[in-house]
Amino acid sequence: MKVTNRFSLLTIGLILVMLLVACGSQPQTTAPTSAPAPTSVPAPTSAPAPTSAPTGAVVSATPGLDIDMILLPKFLGIAVFDQAYEGAKEAHAELGNKGDLIFTGPTAENSVAGQIETLTNAATQGVKAVMLSNNAGDQIAAAAQAAQAAGVKVVTWDSPIPSAQGESVFVAQVDFTETGRVMADMALAILGPAGGEFAILSASPDAANQNAWIAAMKQVLTEPKYANLKLVDTVYGNDQSEESYNQALALVDKYPNLKLIMAPTTVGIAAAAKAMTDEGLCDKVKVSGLGLPSEMVSYTLSGCAPQFALWSFKDLGYLTYYLAYGLATGQLQGVEGERFNAGRMGTYTIEKDPTRPNGLRVLMGPFTVYTAENVNE
Amino acid sequence: MNAKLRRLLSWEGLLLAILLVVATLNTNLAPAYLSLNNQINLFQLSIEKIMVALVMTFIIINGEIDLSVASIMGLAACVVAVLFEQGVPLVAAIVVALLAGLLCGAFNGFWVAYVGLPSLAVTLAGMIGFRGIARILIEDRSIGGFPAWFTTLGQQPLLGPFPFSLLLFGSLFALAFVILHYSGVGRLVYVVGHNAAVARYSGVDVPRLKLGLFCASGLIAALAGVLLAARLGAVRGNTADGFELDIITMVLLGGVSIFGGAGTLGGVGLSILLILNLRNGMSLMNVTGNVQTGVVGMLLILSVLLPNLAHVARDRWQRRAMQRKEVQASIETSASS
Amino acid sequence: MNSWRQRIRPEQIRELSLVGLIVIALLVFGWQIENFLSARTFNRITTSVAIVGMVAIGQTLVVLTRNIDLSVGSIVGFTAYFVGAQLAANPTMPPAAAVALAVLVGGAMGLFNGVIVAYGRVPAIITTLGTLAIYRMLLINYANARTITVDSLPSWVVELSRQTLLTIGDFAVRPLFAITIIAVIVFQFVLGYTIFGRRLYAIGSNPEAARFAGLPVQQTVLAAFVLCGMLAGLAGFLFLSRFGNITAVAGQGIELESVAAVVVGGVNTFGGSGTVFGALLGAFLIDLLGQGLLRWLGISEFWRDALLGLLILLAVASDSVILGWLRRLWAAPAVRVEAGNER
Repeated sequence: MKVTNRFSLLTIGLILVMLLVACGSQPQTTAPTSAPAPTSVPAPTSAPAPTSAPTGAVVSATPGLDIDMILLPKFLGIAVFDQAYEGAKEAHAELGNKGDLIFTGPTAENSVAGQIETLTNAATQGVKAVMLSNNAGDQIAAAAQAAQAAGVKVVTWDSPIPSAQGESVFVAQVDFTETGRVMADMALAILGPAGGEFAILSASPDAANQNAWIAAMKQVLTEPKYANLKLVDTVYGNDQSEESYNQALALVDKYPNLKLIMAPTTVGIAAAAKAMTDEGLCDKVKVSGLGLPSEMVSYTLSGCAPQFALWSFKDLGYLTYYLAYGLATGQLQGVEGERFNAGRMGTYTIEKDPTRPNGLRVLMGPFTVYTAENVNE
Repeated sequence: MNAKLRRLLSWEGLLLAILLVVATLNTNLAPAYLSLNNQINLFQLSIEKIMVALVMTFIIINGEIDLSVASIMGLAACVVAVLFEQGVPLVAAIVVALLAGLLCGAFNGFWVAYVGLPSLAVTLAGMIGFRGIARILIEDRSIGGFPAWFTTLGQQPLLGPFPFSLLLFGSLFALAFVILHYSGVGRLVYVVGHNAAVARYSGVDVPRLKLGLFCASGLIAALAGVLLAARLGAVRGNTADGFELDIITMVLLGGVSIFGGAGTLGGVGLSILLILNLRNGMSLMNVTGNVQTGVVGMLLILSVLLPNLAHVARDRWQRRAMQRKEVQASIETSASS
Repeated sequence: MNSWRQRIRPEQIRELSLVGLIVIALLVFGWQIENFLSARTFNRITTSVAIVGMVAIGQTLVVLTRNIDLSVGSIVGFTAYFVGAQLAANPTMPPAAAVALAVLVGGAMGLFNGVIVAYGRVPAIITTLGTLAIYRMLLINYANARTITVDSLPSWVVELSRQTLLTIGDFAVRPLFAITIIAVIVFQFVLGYTIFGRRLYAIGSNPEAARFAGLPVQQTVLAAFVLCGMLAGLAGFLFLSRFGNITAVAGQGIELESVAAVVVGGVNTFGGSGTVFGALLGAFLIDLLGQGLLRWLGISEFWRDALLGLLILLAVASDSVILGWLRRLWAAPAVRVEAGNER
């Protein structure tokens, strides 16, 4: 039986080689073993009083420091998150950060646990800032608080931590109330003053940002101007093309008078537009919501999705990077009223988030509403 | 019997050796790996999964499978959260959640043990259905704001640097080890898994054993779900979504046969350590989630494939050596005659 | 008098119990949902079942040999994306070449699974649990977060799912569904009347006995996996045609859907019994339940999964009860005849 042992040794050797290859093929980042750059200030344990942040002065971050930062999307493989990474890379180069900008993310089916793991390990690695598009709702708050306690700045973008616990600042792509209004306005523009029945096709019931937008839209719909718009149902396609497609068709069958499907998610709007086109229903049921121009152009030109909106994810990544860099290097404190310079995008102010008590935000904006005129640009 | 034992030992030896390799690589490539904090985090981040993996080991050795565990975890977490939101005292809510888990397990067990449906089908339906019940309870909400003692229990160290869940896992592991390897029930689990028909003819109450195992699976999954709620501090409809495949992977890498009747908790313990350390190391080196899962997948395949290939190669080699000897012998005999 | 009993065994007509369940589901939905019993519903379900039905054929072949393929979801996603990317780069690629490419890529992935299972003697669940992750990893690295969009594809691909082959009244037969039906008929024939098909059953019933009988067990299992991969590849092409927008998460979860279809369709997970037609009916029943619940006005979005889980369980349970009942019905006269002979 000694032979068996020899063979298992051989096996181990082979696996070792495999592991080395697997690890070696990854972009390796050396965790900073030495002390951070001299100019970096340790994170203040208590935020100074708002008055200490001079409201007039605009902080322009000193470039060329050495801090590692992680950009953490909901999961990998979705175009908009990579666009945000493009923007962050641009800012990384402009600021001459000698540290690493790490773009890593969990798998789609392990998103919640994976985000918590990355955030927890960020503190261990000595990373100074995590830029998070939160997919875990408040489930990530404990991990974020622990990371903050260990000196990691947590800046959220795209989707915030609803309770704002453990979050330094949220970079809001647009005002969440404004999103509701933009969606209601698009519905009104498409359906006309006569109005009609429409339904919402959202991502998942657990998507915090979509839920906030839907709530805002329902609020806006109570205004007399939108009295003829009748929201009949809210369904979920879980950001999968197949499910969204089936849900869109089911809506049409379920509500014979349906005139519009509003999908506040890029996956849902494209799937719904494809479903309506395939079934020849475009004359009867229109599609609108938040979509990527590159995915929607043919539907907009064909009149199936006459209007939809979105913001620039590249700019969002760029702005988030400037804010996170300022916070992680201690040049920004992350208090209300602070103003900072975000390179080519100009000056921004940290303000109270009106949609979340206790939350701070930086508002990017604006929406671009795409129609047949500008969708090709 | 002896050969089988040695084969198992060599399996565990293999896992141990890979674990050492992984630990060495991690130590050299990720400076923070060895810190006590990281070592505890490494367990804490998956503590609920590895707890359920213990009872899944029993189920798979018994020749069945339970795909519904993650949904039961989610359901238990939702039951705790919703009852707490309704004003029920948290302790009472936890008891109800554990009972709910037990009930789910009993439901699975009934259809498998007494109706005779395949567990793959029953627990696949349970996986959809139990998650569905959780969704009915919590809809699109997120519930948090639990009392401090509850979240502290889930997040803070209890004894020295060790949090409650880790201590609980340690005790559960010891308990499971004794039951599986040193008790009559444990022996029955193997006997039934090896050949249910033979077990039945020798007077084993097979349905009762299977029902008991599925109840235990439901109960432990519910306990893990409650602990997950405490660790995360908030519950949503997708809590613990998709954990089932990770849990099954841990058990299978531990050398437990999917056809039942073979495997040890020692192997599963090593496989848990291996997967956690491997993932932690890759995570510290910023390897993306997809590549992590892919590497674990490769490890899963190679850990069975390479020893098999080695066996085949050895058999061939021995056979050839034997043939050579025979040829030599025949030459010698022909020469001598 | 009882000769039909000797000629037809209960297992051979077990599909009838599925048809019965489908009819019951149709009646209940038709009674509760306005306009449910219409050609439109038929068209919806047939198109939607085409993809998972195609995968379920391959899954059946593998499950018959007492194996399982959990990597099919990743194969569908990878081929859909890969073929989509190739078509976007070479829009002039002839349709036959595109389909062949999808089948080849899927077949190669199935070959990898099959070699490891049949020749490496690694249990199928371990192998395919591994390749489920590995193929998805390959896809995500290959896709690099780009999305295949409808606009980048040649128009014939996208229009394939919109066309109608023939219409009977309002009932339309779409190309996607037709392809799947043809595949089901072909493989039903292969399983029933070819040596290869009978070998699959023999191996699944008793692998040891099959080996001692001198059947080429390894080659046959390998072939089952290759065919399963090829069918998943073809399903990937159908997926591309139907959904047009393909991201790196495409096809996720199809593995469990196909296993569910096979299990509900009466294929024994311990191998050796079941048919491709049954698996298609299983897929059809699950899709019908899902689509019905989606359209039921009284059922809230949040109640759907709980009911779906319950209904799937009921389907499996009643199928098993009906089969047991049929077996007893068959056995009873046989016992009487035997008793008569003894006297």
